[in-house]
Amino acid sequence: MTLHAPLINYLAILPFLFLTGAALLLLFMTALTRDRLSTRVSSTIAVSAALGGFVATFVQWFEVDHHGATTTAAHAIVMDGFSAVMCASICSSLVFALLIAHDWQGRERFNGAEYQMLALLATSGSVLMTQANDLVLVFLGLEILSIALYCLIAFNRRRYKSSESSMKYFLLGGFAAAIFIYGAALTYGATGTTNVTSIAYFLGTTHLLHPGLLLAGGGLMMVAFAFKVQAVPFHFWSPDVYEGAPTPVTGFHASIVWGGAFAAMIRVMISGLGSQIDTWRPIFFGLIVLSTIVGACFAILQGNAKRLLAYSSVSHSGFILLGVWTGTAVGVSAAAFYVLTYAPVVLGSFAIVALVGGVGDSNHELEKYRGLARRNPWIGFSLSVLLLSQLGVPLTVGFNGKFAVLAATIDAGNIYGAIVALVGACIAAFAYLRWTTGLYAAENLDQPALVVPWASRVVITLAVLYALVFGVDPGLLTSIASHATLLFQP
Amino acid sequence: MHSSLFLSGLLLLPALGAVVALLVRKQEGRSYVVAVATAFLELVLSVVVAFTYNAHVANAQGFDFAYSHVLSPVLGIAYSVAADGISVWMVVLSALTVLIALLAARDRRRESAYVAWQLLLLAVTVGCFVAHDLLEFFIFFELILIPCYFMMVQWGGEKAKAAAMKFFLYTFTGSAFMLAAIIYLAVLHQQQVGGALTFAYGALAQVTTSTAAGVWLFVAFALAFGVKSPIWPLHTWSPSTYAEAPAAAGIELSALLSKLGAYGLLRFAVALLPGVQRDVRPVMLTLAVISILYGSFVACTAKDLRRFIAYSSLAQMGFVTLGIMSGSVIGTEGAVLLMFNHGVITIGVFALVGYLERRRASVAMADLRGLQGPMPVFAGLFTLFMLATMGLPGLSGFVSEYLVLIGTFGTHAWWALVATLGVVGSAVYWLWAYQRAFHGEVSTADASLADVSHAERNALWPIVALVVVLGVFPSPILNRLGPAVTSIVSHVATTGVSK
Amino acid sequence: MGHAAVLIVLLPLVGFLAILFNGKGISERATGVVGTAAVGLSFVATVTTFVLYLRHEGQVTVNLFTWLNVDTLHVPVALLIDPLALTMCLFVTGISTLIHLYSTAYMAGEKDFRKFFLYLNLFVFSMLLLVLANNLVLTFVGWEGVGVCSYWLVSYYFTKESAASAGKKAFIYNRVGDLGLLSAMFLLFTHLHTLTYVGVFQGASTLSPTMATLIVLSLLVAAAGKSAQIPLFNWLPDAMEGPTPVSALIHAATMVTAGVFLLVRMSPVLTLSADGRHVIAIIGGLTAFVAATIATAQKDIKKVLAFSTVSQIGYMVLAVGIGDYTAAIFLMVAHAFFKALLFLGSGSVIHSLHGEQDMRKMGGLAKFLPLTFPTFLLGWLTISGVPPFAGFWAKGAILSSAYSANKLLYALALLTAVLTAYYMTRLFVLTFRGEQRFAASMTDAPHESPWAMTLPLVVLAVLSVFGGVLDLPWMHAHTMATFVSGSIVSVTPLAAQSAGLQITLAVVDACAALLGLAAAFTLWRGRSERPGLELSFFEHVWRWDDAYDAVIGRPLTTVATVAGSVVEDQVIDGAVMGLAQTVTRSSVGLRKIQTGFVRHYALAMFFGLALIVVYLVARVG
Repeated sequence: MTLHAPLINYLAILPFLFLTGAALLLLFMTALTRDRLSTRVSSTIAVSAALGGFVATFVQWFEVDHHGATTTAAHAIVMDGFSAVMCASICSSLVFALLIAHDWQGRERFNGAEYQMLALLATSGSVLMTQANDLVLVFLGLEILSIALYCLIAFNRRRYKSSESSMKYFLLGGFAAAIFIYGAALTYGATGTTNVTSIAYFLGTTHLLHPGLLLAGGGLMMVAFAFKVQAVPFHFWSPDVYEGAPTPVTGFHASIVWGGAFAAMIRVMISGLGSQIDTWRPIFFGLIVLSTIVGACFAILQGNAKRLLAYSSVSHSGFILLGVWTGTAVGVSAAAFYVLTYAPVVLGSFAIVALVGGVGDSNHELEKYRGLARRNPWIGFSLSVLLLSQLGVPLTVGFNGKFAVLAATIDAGNIYGAIVALVGACIAAFAYLRWTTGLYAAENLDQPALVVPWASRVVITLAVLYALVFGVDPGLLTSIASHATLLFQP
Repeated sequence: MHSSLFLSGLLLLPALGAVVALLVRKQEGRSYVVAVATAFLELVLSVVVAFTYNAHVANAQGFDFAYSHVLSPVLGIAYSVAADGISVWMVVLSALTVLIALLAARDRRRESAYVAWQLLLLAVTVGCFVAHDLLEFFIFFELILIPCYFMMVQWGGEKAKAAAMKFFLYTFTGSAFMLAAIIYLAVLHQQQVGGALTFAYGALAQVTTSTAAGVWLFVAFALAFGVKSPIWPLHTWSPSTYAEAPAAAGIELSALLSKLGAYGLLRFAVALLPGVQRDVRPVMLTLAVISILYGSFVACTAKDLRRFIAYSSLAQMGFVTLGIMSGSVIGTEGAVLLMFNHGVITIGVFALVGYLERRRASVAMADLRGLQGPMPVFAGLFTLFMLATMGLPGLSGFVSEYLVLIGTFGTHAWWALVATLGVVGSAVYWLWAYQRAFHGEVSTADASLADVSHAERNALWPIVALVVVLGVFPSPILNRLGPAVTSIVSHVATTGVSK
Repeated sequence: MGHAAVLIVLLPLVGFLAILFNGKGISERATGVVGTAAVGLSFVATVTTFVLYLRHEGQVTVNLFTWLNVDTLHVPVALLIDPLALTMCLFVTGISTLIHLYSTAYMAGEKDFRKFFLYLNLFVFSMLLLVLANNLVLTFVGWEGVGVCSYWLVSYYFTKESAASAGKKAFIYNRVGDLGLLSAMFLLFTHLHTLTYVGVFQGASTLSPTMATLIVLSLLVAAAGKSAQIPLFNWLPDAMEGPTPVSALIHAATMVTAGVFLLVRMSPVLTLSADGRHVIAIIGGLTAFVAATIATAQKDIKKVLAFSTVSQIGYMVLAVGIGDYTAAIFLMVAHAFFKALLFLGSGSVIHSLHGEQDMRKMGGLAKFLPLTFPTFLLGWLTISGVPPFAGFWAKGAILSSAYSANKLLYALALLTAVLTAYYMTRLFVLTFRGEQRFAASMTDAPHESPWAMTLPLVVLAVLSVFGGVLDLPWMHAHTMATFVSGSIVSVTPLAAQSAGLQITLAVVDACAALLGLAAAFTLWRGRSERPGLELSFFEHVWRWDDAYDAVIGRPLTTVATVAGSVVEDQVIDGAVMGLAQTVTRSSVGLRKIQTGFVRHYALAMFFGLALIVVYLVARVG
């Protein structure tokens, strides 16, 4: 018997290759060079790989635009507008994350390439999740991502909290992974395939007399995703992890992990199990209500910037779920658009948080921010813009993102979901405002002004520009996001 | 159709001015000059627009200077401006307010930033008044908060921070649901007419809603505009905000924000939902009347002049709401005129309060006494504005108030009659405040207070002139308001009845 | 003629502006001259207009410009020149001129001399606007104008709390009256879609009786506010806080006559509602009587005169009520003469006593004030209704029509006439006769006032004496009555009275007056007070203010306090803040589940999962 290796469209996996390739390259280099690799070199390699991935997604983009979406590697990997957009977002986020990490490593005296390697691997897992068209592959991506992430979170061995939170995340993550694989198995049992498209095809053609098995599978997988996107009540780990993890990792988490998880969730629950959307909607609705309201309520109590941002990202998940709830192409592209608007902004915020955290990455109480705008006017201004963007003030991307998902969900008839989410936004507004107001207090003026290294400056400037430019004219972003369609949609 | 460049110019000029003001911040006082010049140019331009506006040139709904450009076809986000007889005067008011605020309440602390914020506020306000697209209007409407918030946080006292937070959350929450309402309207339009998602005013004016949905939409709008206007009982942000805002911001807040609310109420809540007007009018009219009487009562117990103005405005805006909801052309026209007049008068009063605060730390009613002795001119100006607010015939306030009442009487006699009691009410609380602050023996500490300087006096000349001229000869404004108001009211009447 | 008419209104305004804009520069004297000249010229203009009018009869409307033009509401700024307006203008401008002249001397040396003339001119301007307006809205401008001017002039000595409060009271009472005028306008406009007098009179016939009554009653409220009638009459005595010329201006020439003028002006509407007119007549009669009783017990010379004004206006309102408009106007003119005389006279007295107003500290001034005394004496006789002075004829006209209209009212009016003679004589006796009680408070002997003050007295005395010829009963053909009736739509004329009856009534009037005189002389000769005859109930205005304070004042104050402290801070804002706090509190409660222990997190996940499973099972099964 002969074994046929499946044909592979390398363009489809080009971003993945870039990232893993760079990771391996760094691995070899560290192995071969005598003394530790300097951060500058490793960062350069990693960033260029990320940029490569970013560019590659554009090639994919045109490919999809002209010849339509394709699958490859035995239909296990898909290349469609949605994956391209999410990939682009993830790769660009990686660039930001790496730049932040670069300065952080400088401050914390962490030489070497380990951080970059792990970041690249984790991202590759996230990228894989955006393209996975097979439950097994989704799991694969999930694990690549998670395992690398555990190490990243525990990266700062000098901080006890860092390893503690990593342990927490590891335990619960394992729990989630188990739930996912079990759900995948049940789904396989119900449909006889693990391939998302085939599942959709099967469900579209046959009428299940006993959908229990399928529904159970779907429900379990949804729980796993909910865990990854920090939807209430599966979010409990996130504040601890956000607080414990090194700040660059937190930023990394809030953008890249988040994006990958949402991509996979949408791929599986809508592209695959979309025919059952009426079953999923109530669950999504519950997640929306809990995440937006509870997330906001917790956010307003936090005295710690990182925990606050953790809860804020919880409530943002609620907003994205509004888009997912619809199960329509409009909703999916709205969700993708939301990810596009959120990732750079949150990374910019974390860049500033990391700076304020200073050596030892410890000053994260909001008190530390009082009077910041008086000491560093531009940093203060930037942080205000980024926070107001997350608050959802018009003429910032944040508003457009919220607006897009609200429009989509109301269009699909979910007016109550929209209202609940708005209430949540109003509550959360207090958290951001309190922070912003503190910036302008006439206090701690005696403290020295922050020194802003070039990399962080680049990140912050880009993030602010991004927030404002696309806030004023979101045309480009929206048209991109509107092409973020799934290969298959029931 | 006149050139569409006017409105974009009105919108951009202050924004550019703000940028320039920031660029030249190095030289002492240069940015102030830039700001004043910008505001002045804006005023001139807006007056030109107001007088070029001509109902015969405008389209059927009375809009002119229209320009529209879609930014995001997917989300229906568009930049679309147009002005009718109502908006042009509101724009004039905005420009005037900021100009006088700059002149009358100069504040040299980090001046460049301060004036930049004020110019931004001007730009955003103008945006609200010329927006011809609901989403665009909402964006500007929400954006108003930003300059106000930052001005209060950075130039107000420590108390101002809490006030600013309350103000922001209050109004933000108030208008959040309007967003849902706007989207819902657009979706309805898409379902009824098809085509891409659009928020264009003209398009959404065609939407027909079921009564239930219409009522909910109205509630969402009324909530947003009721907070801004303010309408009882959504007013409790205003006293603290008025009291804590820095002088210039105070002038702008008191003179402009309330007008935004009333403008929105008329332009959207009334004009877009003709079907439900008959159902909601009794409620809104009652709230308006309560605002008038309640404002009058509480004003008599106000702790300081700024809070006093807040409550007086509550009562005045009650008259505006009354006129807008009256469903009569005369009443509505009076209401719009009252918006303009009240804006102008409030600028004057608040500027005077600012002058007083320059001289003595507190403006608390308790420790004001016999100021007419040392400051006769100040007292004279205050009297003029007081009488104008009380609606003394011959001054601007009377015409508008009178039109509101006589118009409303024609359609809703009882509410008008009760509201007329407010005429006595205003006399009571204003004369009370005046006697408190200006009559009696002056305290030895205040005996040496300096009267208003020439600079201070000159800053208020335009206001004084307007108060008198518009009282005697309001036709220039009324003639331009006429077509716009008539088209709205008749549209409501016809469509409302047909339901 | 139109131009002259415009000048009537314009000149006082010009005077006002002139003083306003180059006030600081010019001297006190110049200010006085400008102020007086403005009004004097306005008087000249009035006379010119009058003469021209007599040349070619027929009312004229002078259109100046459009004020309001909204939808169906058209309000021009236009003057209506007709007999009524001219009659009013003649005595308003004439007497105001005298008062201005008087003030130049009386107010000499006052701190705010300039401001005084500023207000005075504005006052006259407003009054003339009120009178000459061709539509209700414009009348309302003047109406409110005199209101605010009175506020300023009454609270002229603003450092005195009492003066400030009095001014406030005057304005607020007027505002209450304005409600009447406003609602009258609202009703008229809603039903007739016009507010010009001509238009209203033409359309009036279409009004339903009830509507007419409503309008008439609203007008009555308005008149009660301005003309100090029950129930709004008690602001007038407080208004005495102002300088004496102001009192003269308010009482004789301008403000208080406005209400009566409005009623007469609206006669075509009044004719439509008999009920309305009855109410008017009763209010007038009652006010006349009540005020007279109060006047008998006042100790302040100006207070007595104030209540005599209220009483006299009561007569006029009574006349309007019974439909004898011309008599009302006649008394208004005559009253303008002698009341101005009396006030200026009392002013001269007060001036001579350095501001003393209490009659108990006067007495025996006759020989000190050679000019004030005789003129005042004539004024006293006139108001008392002693023939053949103007008061006798004017009051007589009203009494006789009252007789044929309603015997009860006639009796009341007659009684009032007695009282009038009584309290005026009391005033006269206490002031000029008896022993001199001012010595205590005075260092030097009282002195006569300068010519600028005495000249007006003389002129007014002459007018009071011969004012009667304006309308003598037996020459009705071409008198003021016939002239004025040109602009009046009169009710069904009262039953013509036989000459015999007229004479009898005249005799009765005369007797009433003499009775009052005699009584007062006998009772008050050589006394300064008689507690038995000065009931404190009367002295305190029938406890009217206290009643209002108890029924309206204090309750409303309570409402305001409650609204301000409880409703505002605790209920409404409390609700808002409460909402915010609820959110925070519940969050704090919620926070407890964030323990930091993995096992709890896992448990939460498990519960979430369980919930979903339950839901799915429910959905399937």
